[in-house]
Order: sequence, then C-alpha cells, then structure tokens
Amino acid sequence: MRIVAVDPDACVACRDCEYACAFRQSGDFARSASHIRVNFYADERACVPLTCMHCEDAWCLAVCPAAAIDRDPGTGAVTIDATRCAGCKMCLLACPYGNIHFNAETGVSAKCDLCGGDPMCVRACISGALRYVDAEELADLRREVVDASLKRLLRLSKGVR
Amino acid sequence: MHVVIVGNGAAALSALESFRGHDRDSRVTLVSGEQGPAYSRVLLPYYLRRRLSRDGLFIRRADDYARLGAATEFGVRAEGVDPARRVLELADGRRLGFDRLLIATGSSPMRPPIPGLDGPGVHTLWTLDDAVRLDSVFREGARLVVLGSGFVALQAAWAARQRGLQVSVIELLDQILPRVLDPAAAQILSERLHACDVEVRTGTRAESVETDRGGRVRVSTSGGDRLPADAVIVATGARPNDQLLPECLEPDRPGIPVADTMETVVSGVYAAGDVTRGPTARGGPREIHALWPTAVEQGRVAGANLAGAGRSYGGSLSMNVTEMFDLTVASLGQFVEDEGDDVFEEHDRGGIRYVKIVTRAGVPLGAIAMGAPEGAALLGRLRPFVRHRRALPDLPAFLAREDLDGRLAHRSAAKERTSCASLQ
Repeated sequence: MRIVAVDPDACVACRDCEYACAFRQSGDFARSASHIRVNFYADERACVPLTCMHCEDAWCLAVCPAAAIDRDPGTGAVTIDATRCAGCKMCLLACPYGNIHFNAETGVSAKCDLCGGDPMCVRACISGALRYVDAEELADLRREVVDASLKRLLRLSKGVR
Repeated sequence: MHVVIVGNGAAALSALESFRGHDRDSRVTLVSGEQGPAYSRVLLPYYLRRRLSRDGLFIRRADDYARLGAATEFGVRAEGVDPARRVLELADGRRLGFDRLLIATGSSPMRPPIPGLDGPGVHTLWTLDDAVRLDSVFREGARLVVLGSGFVALQAAWAARQRGLQVSVIELLDQILPRVLDPAAAQILSERLHACDVEVRTGTRAESVETDRGGRVRVSTSGGDRLPADAVIVATGARPNDQLLPECLEPDRPGIPVADTMETVVSGVYAAGDVTRGPTARGGPREIHALWPTAVEQGRVAGANLAGAGRSYGGSLSMNVTEMFDLTVASLGQFVEDEGDDVFEEHDRGGIRYVKIVTRAGVPLGAIAMGAPEGAALLGRLRPFVRHRRALPDLPAFLAREDLDGRLAHRSAAKERTSCASLQ
C-alpha cells in the first residue's frame, strides 16, 4: 500500500497541506479541521508535518470499542466510520503519534483517509516534503531522513549554521 | 484440534481473530451465555444518552463468526470444566470436548452488602438487557440515585441528567472516580457535575434501600438522610466471573491468575480479559485490569498462543478515557506520585483544564488530562514511554507541540460554549 511520506528537512511550514486537508474535510480553511498538522518549532528552526501512517498493526483499529475503525480494502487506509463512532476517544489515547483528532462539532474522532487514494495534502505540497509512496520504499526514505536529521543536529551542536 | 472460547466480548473476539491469523484450519467454537452477535458494553451509556441507537451497540454481525470459521453457541451458559477429560459442561446438559480452552467470561457488577438491593427499583448498567430496562426508567423528571462514582456510574448519571432526570451520586470514598483520577482532577469534575445540577455526596455510605408498594425507593445514607428515588443504579465496581474452573484460582483471591502467555495453571487452558489477574507493564504482582484495551491485548496474545505461536504479553497498562459532562477525562498508568517522584502539573493550558504527569528519574509513570479531547491525544503520545519505561528527555518540549497551544485554545473556546447547554 501507499502512504504519505514526510521529509521534515524539505518542509517549509507553508501549511498548504493543512489548508488543503481542511478544505477537503470541511469545505473551509480552518486549520483545526485538518488531519495533517505541521508542528513548527521556532527555536529549533524545525517543522514537522505529522499525519497518520496507517500502521500495519493499527492499535486504534484493534482497540475501538465501537468497531468503528476499519481498513479500506482499496487504499489500505485506516478509516473511521463516523456513523459508528460513539466519540469515546479511545483511539486518541491509543495512537502513539497523536495523529487522530476529535471533531468537537460532530462529536466523533477523525483522521486521515488518504482521500480515497489521492491525498490532497500531497497535491498541495510546494516543497516536495510530502510524497505519496509505497510503504516499502518509505523504509529507504526514512533512512535518508534520519541521516539528514542527524547531520543537521550535529551541525547545530557544533554551532555551525 | 478443537478450540473452545467461552465469552463474546473484547477478549474473546480479539482472541478469535488473532487465532485465525495463525491457524486457519482448526475447529473453533465460541460459547456465550448471552444471545446473538457481540455488542459493546462500553457503549451502553451512549445508548442511554441517545447518542447511539440499539443497533449501533452491536460490534459484530452474525455472519462475522462464520467468516472466521467459528461455530457459535449463543444463549448457553458454560457451567463448568472437567480439566482431566477436557470437557466444557454447558447449562443445557451438553458436554463440549476441547483441546484448548480460553476463558474470557468477563466480569459482573459487584453487589455491595447493602440491605434492599434486590428490590425491583434497583438496577445495574452492565448488559444490553439492563440498558433497555433503564431506557424505560429514564423518564424526564424522575429521580435517580447512583451508588458509586466510577466510569459506569458517572456515565449513567450523565445520560440520566441529559434526559432530564434528577440525579444524586453517592460515593463511599472522599472523591469521585477514585481509581481513575487524583483528588485535584476529581475536584474539577465534581464542580462540573455540580454545575450540571448533579448532586454529589462523597464520603457517604448507602446504609439501606427500601422499596415501597408503589415501587418508589428510599436510600438511607450514613449522613442520616433518606433520599427518595424512582430508581437506583448500583455501579460500585465489577468482579471477575472466575468460577468456571476453580482449579485455576488462588485461595481467596478473585481473578484467574495467568502467566505471560495468558495460560492458567491448567495446561492448555488460557484466560483473557476482565476475568484474569495478569502481568502488568510496570512489573510486580499480577493485577486485574478490567479495561477494554487490556482485554483486546490479552485476547490477542491468548489467541496466538491457542495456536501455539509462543507469544508473551508485555503486561497491561491502565488507560482510561471517556467524556463526561462535556469534559474529556483521561488517565494513564500510575498518576499518583510516590515520594521522590517528579510531578509536572499545569492548570488551564489552552482547553486542557488540568494536565498532570508523574515521572521518576525522567521516566513517565502515568498522567491525567482533563478538559479538551487533545488531552487524550497527549496521553496517547505519552503511552509508549510509560509502557516501555523510557525516559522522556525534554518534557516541556514534548508538551509544547503546537496543536496543544494555539489551536487547542481556539478549539476549546467553542467547546466551552456548549458546556451543559444540552441540559437546559
């Protein structure tokens, strides 16, 4: 399956992904409706977009007491059935990445569904930080990302800007 | 091989699915004293609150069992086990032979030793039948007394209040939700209950319950009051349904003790879920963690091991979350500090009314979050550190993630406006 791969080094914190996702979810541009969230750390000069990784062994899916979370047979995305969700928030507590959000208006949990296989966040990304790639290819990408982050941290720790 | 699973809740279903991940061929029979496909006990208060329909309570369809290659015996109680002959005895007299057995019989509401609890006006909220009965009791203007202040008790109180009942909660201990919250968090929730016109009496014992001929109830309290009510809900905790195989038990201790493999002392007999006394993530003596996520985890390990996969359970970690009276209430692990522990505590951080994280030598042991839903997500991110006892190098940075600050405050502002509005 394919998932949204994130390269924090390429991200420029423009938040276009958030706006694109919010618009897809709500028809509006309130970033709070977005399933992808860009965390911006000003002091560290770092920005990290975070979105669901559609874990192979998805704990949110296993633990949902309403059986409202399932895997889309087409895209492999872990999806929430809003008509079944009771709003208990067990999935928020289960996700180790903080990638499930709660929609206070509708009273149900909400998360990335990969837009049915054409993620808007990736379409809107201007810097190449987001890519919709095969999960196996991602393992190689992650290696590159970790290398790059380490190099950057080492530079920072030595005072090289 | 014939595998028999007794139960039809979180542990049983998780075990069945996990077993089939390892073994597609062996015969499986699932036995449950209740009728029909599984429903979720966790959701019963949502049904009473009219958040879910009755159909919405069911978490499996009838054909899901066949899809997983399991024969079902619904509506038949398992009465006992003959461990030598490896036979499960059913209430209708049939005897079901097994090679491996899983006891996932759950737990039942505790009945405190209070005279009069067998009267017709006294209810529990544990089964679908209970919920359907209570649904007709929940008439606007009726008076309800809830004994206990755990999750079930307070969710019942919230549902009743939303449907226009007058509600009193009686708790023996000095704070509500004693096993889920610390006193500071309990105080915040108590104030919210009070604001929603729920009467809370902590440090109070119900001495007796009398039912008159008209079906009206009076609850006498240790404070000398006699509270008139149309109905009483007893929700003072649960005890494991552990009598199926007494050979598994330790003397005078509830819960079936299990090894890390979820196997009991009887070879080939496993237990999972509320019925077990199992290993915990922080080590030490085995405990009963009668919680949905624990049942799912234990069922998963037990199911794999029923198929001979040789899995080991890393131990249960207490985790609770729910919404009550428009407050998200979540706690994790050990949230009451011992001497020498560090406590990070903050009030009114954005929409989160209260956050508390207890650490020891940099390792988070547990936490509480109350207020906005983001608190539950925060505890979710903390959970791997608690479970694996990993040090969190920079707690302030961990908490400083942006969605906890700017956006959180924005969202909670909308949330505050709705507080108790549904009650008026």
